[in-house]
Amino acid sequence: MDKPDLRNRRQCLQSLVAGSVLWPSLLQEILADAGGGREENDPLAPKTPHFPPRAKNVVFLYMSGGVSHVDTFDHKPSLFKDHGKEVVVDHPETQNRPGYEKTFLKRPQWEFRPRGVSGTLVSDLFPHMGACVDEIALIRSMHTSHSNHYNATLGMHTGSFTVSRPSIGSWVSYGLGSENRDLPSFITIAPQTPYAGTQVWASDFLPPAYQGTRIIPGAEAMPNLTRRVPTQRRQELELEALARMNRRHLQMQDETAELSARIKTFETAFGMQMRMPEIFDLKQEADHTLDLYGLERDQVRGFGWQCLVARRLVERGVRFVELIDVGSSNNWDAHGDMKSHEPLARNVDRPIAGLLTDLKQRGLLNETLVVWTTEFGRTPFNNTADAPGREHHNWAFSSWLAGGGVKAGVVHGTTDEHGIRVAENPVHVHDLHATILHLLGLNHERHTFRHSGRDFRLTDVHGRIVHEILA
Amino acid sequence: MINRKFLSLRNDYYRTLGLGLLIFVCTVPASHAAETGEQAERMEFFERKIRPVLTTHCLECHGPEKQHNGLRLDLREHLLRGGDGGPAVNLDDPDSSPLLQALRHETVEMPPDEKLPETVIADFRKWIAAGAVDPREAENPDLPISELAESHWSFQPLAEISPPATEATFPARSPVDHFLQATREAVGVKPVEAADRHTLIRRATWDLIGLPPTPDEVASFVSDDSPQAYERLIDRLLASPHYGERWGRHWLDVVRYADTAGETSDFPAPEAWRYRNYVIEAFNRDKPYDEFIREQIAGDILAQEEVADVSPERYAELITATGYLAISRRFGFDISKDHYLTIEDTIDTLGKSVLGLTIACARCHDHKYDPISAADYYALYGIFESTRFAFPGCEHDKRPRDLVPLVTAEQGERQLVPHTETLRAANERVARHQAEVQRLREILAEASSSEGEELLAGAIPNGGEERFPDQAEPRTVQRGDMLQLSILPNANHGADTTLVELEIRQVGGEGRIWNLTADLLGSFRETCDPGPWRVFDLQAGLTPFSRMIPDALNTEGLQLWHGAADLPSLALNSLDREIRFLTVTLPPRQVSLHPGPSGGVAVAWASPIEGQVTIRGRVANVDDSSGDGIVWSVAHRSGFGEQLQDVRGELLALESAQNEQAKLAAEAPAVPVAYGVTEGSPGHAQIHMRGDPQKLGAEVPRRFLELLGGEKVSPAESGSGRKQLAEWLTDPDNPLTARVLVNRIWQHHFGRGLVKTPNDFGLRGQPPTHPELLDWLAAELVNSGWSIKHMHRRIMLSAAYRQSSGSSSQASTIDPENQWYWRFERRRLDAEQIRDGMLAVSGRLDRSPGESHPFPPADQWSFTQHGPFAAVYETNRRSVYLMVQRISRHPFLGLFDGADPNTSTAARVNSTVPPQALYFLNAPFVHDQAAALADRLRQHSQDPRERTDQACRLLYGRPAEEADHQDAEQFFEAYLAELGSLDPAQRAIEAERAYARILLSSSEFLYVE
Repeated sequence: MDKPDLRNRRQCLQSLVAGSVLWPSLLQEILADAGGGREENDPLAPKTPHFPPRAKNVVFLYMSGGVSHVDTFDHKPSLFKDHGKEVVVDHPETQNRPGYEKTFLKRPQWEFRPRGVSGTLVSDLFPHMGACVDEIALIRSMHTSHSNHYNATLGMHTGSFTVSRPSIGSWVSYGLGSENRDLPSFITIAPQTPYAGTQVWASDFLPPAYQGTRIIPGAEAMPNLTRRVPTQRRQELELEALARMNRRHLQMQDETAELSARIKTFETAFGMQMRMPEIFDLKQEADHTLDLYGLERDQVRGFGWQCLVARRLVERGVRFVELIDVGSSNNWDAHGDMKSHEPLARNVDRPIAGLLTDLKQRGLLNETLVVWTTEFGRTPFNNTADAPGREHHNWAFSSWLAGGGVKAGVVHGTTDEHGIRVAENPVHVHDLHATILHLLGLNHERHTFRHSGRDFRLTDVHGRIVHEILA
Repeated sequence: MINRKFLSLRNDYYRTLGLGLLIFVCTVPASHAAETGEQAERMEFFERKIRPVLTTHCLECHGPEKQHNGLRLDLREHLLRGGDGGPAVNLDDPDSSPLLQALRHETVEMPPDEKLPETVIADFRKWIAAGAVDPREAENPDLPISELAESHWSFQPLAEISPPATEATFPARSPVDHFLQATREAVGVKPVEAADRHTLIRRATWDLIGLPPTPDEVASFVSDDSPQAYERLIDRLLASPHYGERWGRHWLDVVRYADTAGETSDFPAPEAWRYRNYVIEAFNRDKPYDEFIREQIAGDILAQEEVADVSPERYAELITATGYLAISRRFGFDISKDHYLTIEDTIDTLGKSVLGLTIACARCHDHKYDPISAADYYALYGIFESTRFAFPGCEHDKRPRDLVPLVTAEQGERQLVPHTETLRAANERVARHQAEVQRLREILAEASSSEGEELLAGAIPNGGEERFPDQAEPRTVQRGDMLQLSILPNANHGADTTLVELEIRQVGGEGRIWNLTADLLGSFRETCDPGPWRVFDLQAGLTPFSRMIPDALNTEGLQLWHGAADLPSLALNSLDREIRFLTVTLPPRQVSLHPGPSGGVAVAWASPIEGQVTIRGRVANVDDSSGDGIVWSVAHRSGFGEQLQDVRGELLALESAQNEQAKLAAEAPAVPVAYGVTEGSPGHAQIHMRGDPQKLGAEVPRRFLELLGGEKVSPAESGSGRKQLAEWLTDPDNPLTARVLVNRIWQHHFGRGLVKTPNDFGLRGQPPTHPELLDWLAAELVNSGWSIKHMHRRIMLSAAYRQSSGSSSQASTIDPENQWYWRFERRRLDAEQIRDGMLAVSGRLDRSPGESHPFPPADQWSFTQHGPFAAVYETNRRSVYLMVQRISRHPFLGLFDGADPNTSTAARVNSTVPPQALYFLNAPFVHDQAAALADRLRQHSQDPRERTDQACRLLYGRPAEEADHQDAEQFFEAYLAELGSLDPAQRAIEAERAYARILLSSSEFLYVE
């Protein structure tokens, strides 16, 4: 990557600032220069990773509540066959729990079919995602350290299962910066608040520039994004006067970096105010594109909207986009009835397949890493065989990766015959994190931040790169 | 002053650390005794056979980088010390060496991928049997920490320092200046000139009270010619009640104050505010810092000790102070299970806030950089494990408990005396009525012992209906006899509402007719007199219905009649139209009966006559949404109507007595409580191996850090040991406490500390830029009686603080970072200052102290991780009084880099990011304050120039200059033109508000020079 000419950029800006150029001219300069030069000390300036990356951006698809692996991506014929058989487990969710003295295997409620050329079995809950198996590396041997939503959600996002730590999106932003100066480098699109709240996208001890910006699908997607003064012209007049006053104040100072950076934030904010709604405005998208995501024209909600907006953000250089499908309630947490997986699957299945297809058609998939995951799986057993639901299961679950640097059409790892424990090639959350960082050109053991007298890592003292799924 | 106590104790520490080495030395005399050929042979054997295997197969996981199971195999000492499972080799019995057993796959299987050849394993046995000769100690001594620590600056006693000499021409105003000037002279930078008075008052006011100076304050300071003007300004600001709101906030940052617990559902801690206000008050009253620390660590113990001597206010204050410990973060779904993490949070905050040490790093293993062992950590852990923390509630256990009363037990009881006596009388009345009810019930049971003769019976399904025979045989009744219609649940308990009609006709005589529906409709509501009708619960003996509730369930015209429980019941629709309630539709002017969950209900006619009667009636199910129908019967029973009435009368009396009792109980004067701590059951903690509370190691006696003396909790101590801990922390010989505090004070005055890592004075922290100054300030603090206000005066009266923020090419070439303080560093306002400043200049600031937050009442809490507590409470009070949550950041404080409520914040970051600019552009709060500011300016004057001048005075602390007027005029001209279509008055208002928004967003307002 070419190093932006800081001096020229700075001189240019200073001449604009010092001269009598009016705001609209400044604005034109910004609009013409998105992704261009950078101020000194800009924490979001693009950075060179440790080694050449395989992917530039990440779309992190997070299904909230715990998706059942044995009903979706982990086909277990024996679980169908052995339905109703008693199984003895010392499981965190059933030990010492009244009514769970005995547990019985419970068959999946959806049929599995071979999909794609690779013939990977995926259940009828995900027919569209299933059709994309040749694009993905499926991991059937995920496991995690906690069976509680809050802790497992925090762990999947920060690598810490107890105290809050920086989110993976913040670690990535910190490592790579952003290629678009008008947009945040880390954006989370979440219609509802997830488990563990805003900690899921917080930068914690990393500098605030790396925190996730949350977008809520709907009328005001981002706080304070909607212009409050009635006309753009009036706002321009206000900004022009503000810039004039601020630059007069600036001229009286010796050290200008911070103050001129502040003047720039108003330019950027003005840019965001125009550019963010533009990203959410899907009018320019063709009918067949909307159709890929299962979107009706003018629809502004649903996972299809989130996925299409994610593509538009990635196109504009946003480094890390997370999509959370639902929140901390009415989610995949199917204790009551596995049938509640159906509407949730319908919400995400086609949009995710559409996203993969669209990214591929636009040539973006080879530089974008798409990750699909959840906090844990669900028990292949319950206290009665005909119990309609399943409990939390952190011993095994499924996730997949696709895109830049990922071997397509492979399956990694297995669980035992009933999907209870990982049998081969376990992949812990820390390993998934190490692999994501690796694909982005970051060595997870060297990507550290000094805090409280210690060098912290996303993977703490753990993490093994899953080389087997790398292309 | 040489700190002998700490020095000698530190030497103890090194001896302890050196113990490993000593053991090693004792085990190797053989090698010293004979540098023989045999020894050389063994060395060679190690080099040839053992070292390559260790390097190839073991060290990746058991070496300097990673230590699986705590085991390192890269040094002989580590081999002997071993990991979690004890020593790796046993020199006395080689075959029982865990290392050998693992290689043989007898216990664990090592290396994990493949068993080593038998020949290699035999080599290892031979090596161990021959004393495990291993030269790998000399090349890598294991005690770097202790050696570094011995000379580490912050662990040394405070040096006795006098201000250095400086060039005679230097205009020092305080000893502080001599220290700074000496270093400036050494590097050759010249300080800039002094700031002007406008700048100075604005700087000092924002700094000490967190608000802008008012135009009057500025004017009076600028025109004060006295040489004491500046000193008086500082004194005035230090005396302001707003001082504590500003400087207390700095402390609240360090102790990660929040109003919620932070576990998975983020339960509110509604009493935490008392601790917040305690901190603010402590700063306002310049509470000596050592006392401040002692109270926060052990206030409850001090309160008990001083109980006879202290005023009620003092007692409450001491209890409240322990909020310092109670506000530790809670973890998990069931916080009792994860209490070890809460204690870690306590120790982490204690270490950082008071000592500037990262003690919590030693939870899983000895600290990697500082001389703090896991044993040190668990020695402190025992103290807090012996302490009972207030329980905030959590998803698993939702009600708060163990909050600490702010009055003594005795005072509490005394307060309650009058009330207790009234309550006792009420209790006695209740008991009397209960006994009477019991007596009358026995009489009733006797009178109703016969079931009587069943005349009719039937069953109706859900939604069914049945009529009694119209032409029944007349029954002969005696006066008082009962004709009883019973409604019972069918097999399933979900029995449901049954419409009943019952009519008794006299045959002959006066031909009287008694109709249940008509009689109840006629008299019930007004007189509560049911005439001859008796309604009662058939369960557990007979219980007459005692309660009549008009317009029940918020439904007009619905009369409910029932006993102590809601069911069974009688429902009466007194209106001419249908009534719907719950799942029931009751036809107009009808009566229905609802059986209990497991028993029936009956209505009986108590005969007022002697003679013959006929019975007719109807039962119909009027709620087909649930249940499986009912069974019914009509019986002729001998009389017990009077006894029923007697019981009913007594039940009513009992009920009224109970109501009075409940009312009195509820009126009990509430004893105010604090979110604090008390003493628990004292005991020592065991080390958690690798931080795992399930894997307990050796017990560690409660004591202070070895580094700082390692003094043990006295055996005579019957409590947790917190009081002694408080004393050790504030011992003037402790080299850290005073240094850490004066560094924080310096940091907030100058924007950064003399030590740039204010929470880490350990080996990984930064050394001070001015060590002598730091020590001089620390000594000054201790000698002043730990007075923080004294330190403000010392620092703020210096020439360094009064410098301008202007430029100097000479100085900036040599010292671009300004680390030698050649000028004052410009600073952005922090989150609280921005919000408070906008409220102050808009005139909307509510300057009264905040108290509690409007949390929902605790008995309604049902928060879960699926629906955690989340709220933002608006207020125009100062931002220190905003409710801050742990798992969701406050939107404003989060945006402008407020303190992290989850972990000690040593210094604010003060980022400049575009979402902040969006806030100024579009946030309703900014628009509201701007509107208020515009109104305020309009009220100030008719003249636009005077308004601009007042605006500059309010926001910038200076009069307007010509350029300000030009900016304003240029803006108004363009903006008013753009508003051409509006009416003139509206145009003016819109433009003035827009101008106010610009002012509130301007750099000059948001930065302090």
